[in-house]
Order: sequence, then structure tokens, then C-alpha cells
Amino acid sequence: MKKSMRRSALVVCAAASALGLAAAPSMAAPSTVWTVNPSPANFQATNVGNIVLTATIPMTCTVSNAAGSMASATGNPGDVADITTMNFGASGSPCTSVLGNVTTTSVTPWDVVGVDYTASTGVTKGYVGNVKANVTAGACKFTVTGKASGTYTNSTGILAINSTAGELVVTNPVNCGAIVTTATKPTFKGNYAVKVAGSSVIPTIVGSNP
Amino acid sequence: MKAKPAAAPRPSRTRARARARTTSIAAFVVLAALVPTTASASGTQQVEAELPYVCTLPSGPLPATVRVSAEFPERASAGEPFTPSGVTTTVELPDQAVADLAARDAAGVRAATRLGVGVAQNAATATATWRGSAEPVALPESGPLTLVTKGDVPSVAGRGDGDLTFSAGALAIDLALESADGTATDAATAGPGSLTVDCALAEDAPGQGLLATVPVGTGTAAPSGSPSSPSPSGPAGTSGAPDDGQSDAPGDREAERQSERSPKVLENTPGTAADRDEVPPCRYDEQHPPTDVSLNAYVTGYANVKKMKGAAYLPPSCVLIEQGIPVPGPPDPDYLIFDTVSYANFHYQERRQTPPFEATFLSFDFAPVKATMVLEQTDTMRIDSRMKMSMTDFSTTTDTYVRAPLVLHVLDLEVNGTPLDVGSECRTETSLTSEDPDPANFPGDHLVLYGRGELLIGQPATGYLLLSGGVLSGEATIPAFTGCGTDGEDLDRLLTASVSGPGNLIKQVQGQTCAIAAPVFPSPANEGQCTEDLQPYEIPVAEH
Repeated sequence: MKKSMRRSALVVCAAASALGLAAAPSMAAPSTVWTVNPSPANFQATNVGNIVLTATIPMTCTVSNAAGSMASATGNPGDVADITTMNFGASGSPCTSVLGNVTTTSVTPWDVVGVDYTASTGVTKGYVGNVKANVTAGACKFTVTGKASGTYTNSTGILAINSTAGELVVTNPVNCGAIVTTATKPTFKGNYAVKVAGSSVIPTIVGSNP
Repeated sequence: MKAKPAAAPRPSRTRARARARTTSIAAFVVLAALVPTTASASGTQQVEAELPYVCTLPSGPLPATVRVSAEFPERASAGEPFTPSGVTTTVELPDQAVADLAARDAAGVRAATRLGVGVAQNAATATATWRGSAEPVALPESGPLTLVTKGDVPSVAGRGDGDLTFSAGALAIDLALESADGTATDAATAGPGSLTVDCALAEDAPGQGLLATVPVGTGTAAPSGSPSSPSPSGPAGTSGAPDDGQSDAPGDREAERQSERSPKVLENTPGTAADRDEVPPCRYDEQHPPTDVSLNAYVTGYANVKKMKGAAYLPPSCVLIEQGIPVPGPPDPDYLIFDTVSYANFHYQERRQTPPFEATFLSFDFAPVKATMVLEQTDTMRIDSRMKMSMTDFSTTTDTYVRAPLVLHVLDLEVNGTPLDVGSECRTETSLTSEDPDPANFPGDHLVLYGRGELLIGQPATGYLLLSGGVLSGEATIPAFTGCGTDGEDLDRLLTASVSGPGNLIKQVQGQTCAIAAPVFPSPANEGQCTEDLQPYEIPVAEH
């Protein structure tokens, strides 16, 4: 399955361009065997640069981290990892917006799903799926669900999340008025450095089609 | 309230009044909070305490050594504030702690400490937080890791005679970890993150953490450093010593403190937040039930009195807020605009006012003038926020105007220790006023405070935002006073001449709000917004 990652004209992509995600189509057959190394293993991920979430207006998280487990998988798409902890912000470093500080509570597990692998670059394209997070800013509350496209690069261990408008949706907005409604198309952009838990080892994902 | 004869001998009533008037006109200079805090005794005691602690690190509880050094006065007078000085906290964490931090890819660390210090006098107790910060240090290859923090600490005043003891309690160490390339893990950089290490005093700590003993008053002569843990069955003669002669205080103040006779921790060191037991409660109750858009917050700051060339300190005051629902603003080709109208009320003992606050003014003929005042609302405060997002660079701003109809009510006036009876109705004729940027839509007398928050894409928000707080500023005109004085003594002109007028700058700092229906409690993942009983978690610090 090839997924063209077109740039949306929407708001958030101004930020996305900085992340340098290029959508070069792969010529290889879709991968059906996903080899994760080490496997199975736990991983941890910490943001590199700020994370930008949008729900009409942008929000900035200077601290974000994730943890979970990863394992080799088969099929396409292939579920190569489960994110069991996903934090946006930390004590002393809340996520901020011009509405005020934003608190995001993730409902996990989220999945890391591989769709397309380019052997020449060692880059897996895919998405973070099963996303669900409850967001509050003062009395304004809403839930975000869906998926967020991204890539994983073996040479750097960077999981670059760069969702496109429409992948994530808003449900149950309360007291947010015109700023966040069910028509709002949230986005999630940012880079995470992934390591094998408790180490500085960068895990790798290799897709193949035997 | 009737005029009170002065307790001290004086030449004649006429002369005393004349002096008082001169004094009052002279200068509102310094706040009580800013009066230099010095001990009466010239001698000081240098304290060096080494205490065993148990610190909880990621790998589990580890023993640690904490050394606290500080200088205390050898003794002090009752009611007289003093400030421990030269406070240095040295934490020595063992080898394993270094390994724990190294496992997080930390190459360096910047530490800040928060030491809970129990202050006790007879059976009364209070708690102060001694904060310290350190320069960044490189992580050694092996332990121990020694962190040295320094900082200013709150002043303390004993309310009566008796030994005042200071004991170290819980210690929290906030560690900002730095990666090998030397970048801190703040704002735009990534790295090993931050960590708060909680430490408890070891059970076998000598003297249960006693740091120092300061005899207060003339009747005590306890040796320095003697453990005198507070006991309910302490010396009956001194327990609950009367406080500083405020028994004739107006009803407003009588119930102000839950433990009036506790040693008073004067959390007024600039840059230091007040302890929670030193601020009035801020919670919704049966008379003020919360809605699903209810918020609460503390606000504190300074108001300059231009004629007096001085500033009055408004202590942390509770505000109850009903957060508005954003609606689309006027169409604009370049911006997406949302407008929100929120409403707010001060909340102090079921009244829409600030707590009473004192200002001490020093006159050229040495007589201090002390005024006790409150700001009273005459109507609900309105908060207008306009959020604008640029359609070209997606930068966002929120401009907030707080419109507050507030009269200044003078409760007490004292000149050189002699009360001047202002009566019970001594107020400004109208609300403090400001020039309103939109007078057509907002007529009437009110104070206007303004704050702006902004966020450039990818960067954290800065400035004032209603939900997360920040600095609000404005400029007030203080109207003439009315109703001041009794027994034919008209103090209106005196106060008006000495205080009223334009150009008084106001700077208030609002803390993070607590959203009652969506409370955020402190956790490693979240900056706390609410206490467990739904009061504002943050107590803001006034800024000049």
C-alpha cells in the first residue's frame, strides 16, 4: 500500500514543512514482513524539538515522551509497536496555547503501524494508530481520536509524526465554543527519538516482501 | 469606632493631630511587607546542620546526606520579623543516583531545592518553604553527586514569647537534566528531560531535623540548638501568647487566620511564593456553587501610589471566575478571530473584596503611618479576551482586558502607633478609574488592567492568558475620599490630598486557574492546576 503524503493547505502545515517529510513513492512491492530489532523489546521515546498540536489554534509542547513495547510483525499494514505511555507536557513544562495551558491525557495503547519501507534509506512510512486523547484547557474539554501519519528512520531512530488534516477528529467538545467543534481537524506534528528502554540503542524496523 | 486616646503621653491633642496630619501627607513610601526585617539583637548564630535523608530515585529509595547552613539571630522580639540569611542547602546523592541520571542520558544537571521547614513556637506551628537554586554541574562518572543550592527564604515572626524552632522536613529536588552537548532540556531542545526527587528526613535524624532555636522575647533563655519539639502540653504561661494587639481589629480581620497565634511566616521575600496557610482560602462553597465553567485563581501584586512615591502590596487574593465560551469575532481577511467574555469576583469571607492589606508609610519626621485597606467590588468584574490567529504565519495572540469596578476602603489608619479614627465608611467616592480603550461600550468608573499572551508557531505561549495567568497591568486614578473621620474630624481632605490622583501604575500577577469541572492535579506528567480540595494550586508571586 502506497500512501501519498500530500501537503495540506491547512494551517498546521506551515509547521510541518520544517520537519522535511518528503513523499517519494517507493517502487518496491509492499512489505509484509516487518523485522524489528531487538524484538520483542520495550522502547522509550523523547521529543526532539517541540511538539505542535493544533485544534484550530496551535498548541506547543516542549516536553513529550512515550514508552511501550515493540516486536516483529507480519502483514500490511504491520503493527510493529504498542505505545502504552504517551505524555504531552510534564510537571513544570505544560503544553501551552493562547487559550491557556493545555492538558492532554492519552488513552492508550496507541499503535505504531508500518505501511511502506524503503530499503535504500531505511525509512518506514506508516502511522500512529488507535490514537485517543482527552484534552482540556480550563473548562474547554474535547476528545481527539484517529491516526497520525509519520515515518521512522533507522539511521537516526527518529519517529517523525506529521499528521494530515482529517486523520484525527474531535468528539464531544464541551465549553470550547467556536474554537473547537466536531468540524475541527486536529493535527499532531513532532519528532521523537526512540531508544530501546534503559539504553541508548536505537531500534530498527526493516520491511520486506519475501 | 470612637476616637481612641493615645496610650503614650503626648503634649496635647492638638499637637498630636497636627503631627499626624503632617505625617499622613508626607509619604506613603513602604509597605509593611517591605519594611527591612532585622532582628532586635545584634548577635547572630551560624547554623551548620548535617542530616540523613532518604531520597526516592528512579531505581528506588537511597540514603542521602543533606547539609543546611544558615545564619539566624541569636534572639528576637515578639512580633518582630527576621529572615534567616545565607541559606545554603547541600545535597549529597550516592553513586546509584549518578547511575540513574546517566541512564537517562544526562551529562549534566541543574538543581533546585524546596525544603519544608517547620517553624514552631510553644504549641503553635507553621511551615515555610526554603527554595534554593544551583548552577549547572557536570554529572560525575561515579558518585557521589553533590548539589549546592542557595536562595532567599521567607521572614518569620514569633507571635509571643518562647523559643522559635526551625526544623528541616521534606525536601524536593527538581533536576533539569542536560544532555552531552550541553543543551538544557527546555523550550526547543530535546534531551534527557527533568526529574523531581522527593526526599524524606531519615527516622534516625538527630533532633528530628532541628536546625536552630531562636529565643523570642525577654523571658526565655533556651540554649541555641536545643531540641524543643512542639508539645501541646508546653509551658502554659507562654502557650498562645497574645499577638500584636489587634484585638480591636474590625470583624473583617478577626477570622482571617486559622491559626492566628502561630509563628507567622512572612512569605514576602520578593520572588518567593506565599505558603498556602498564609493565603486566604479560595474555593467554591454552598453560597457560591461552581458551574461547569467555574475557575478560581489567586492574584497578587503592587499598586503604586504616585503621590507617595511608593507601592502598596496586595497579598494573594482569591478570584472566582466564570469562563466564557469563545464566539467568532468580527470577520477579518488576515486573521481568524474569537472573542470570549468571562466574569469574575474577588472572594474573601463571602464578600467581593480583597483581604485587608496593610501599607506602612514613612514620614520625614520619622513617624510611621500604617493604613489597613481593602479593595471592594461595586459590581462584577468583566474580562474580555480577543484571540487572533494570523492566516499567514499562524502566530496567535490573545489580548485581555479586565474591567474591575473597585473602591478603596480604608479600614484603619495609625500614625506613630496612635490610631486615627477613620470610621467605618472611609472610601474613595467612586471606583478607581482608568482610561478605557473602548469607552463607548464600557461607560462608568472602573479600573482597566490589560495583558497579552502570544504564541509563535512551534514555540511556547508567553505573556498573560486568563486560564494560565501572568502579568496584568494598568494605570489608575484614585478618586477623592469620602466618609473618613469621626467626631467632627474630617480626614477626607487629608487622604484626598495625600493619596488621590492620576498616574498610579498597577501590576498584578495572576496565577494558573483551577477549572473545577476539569481539574488538573499535580503529577509527573502534569503541571498542577488544582489542589485536592479544588483550590488554585499556584500561588503567584508579586512583581515590581
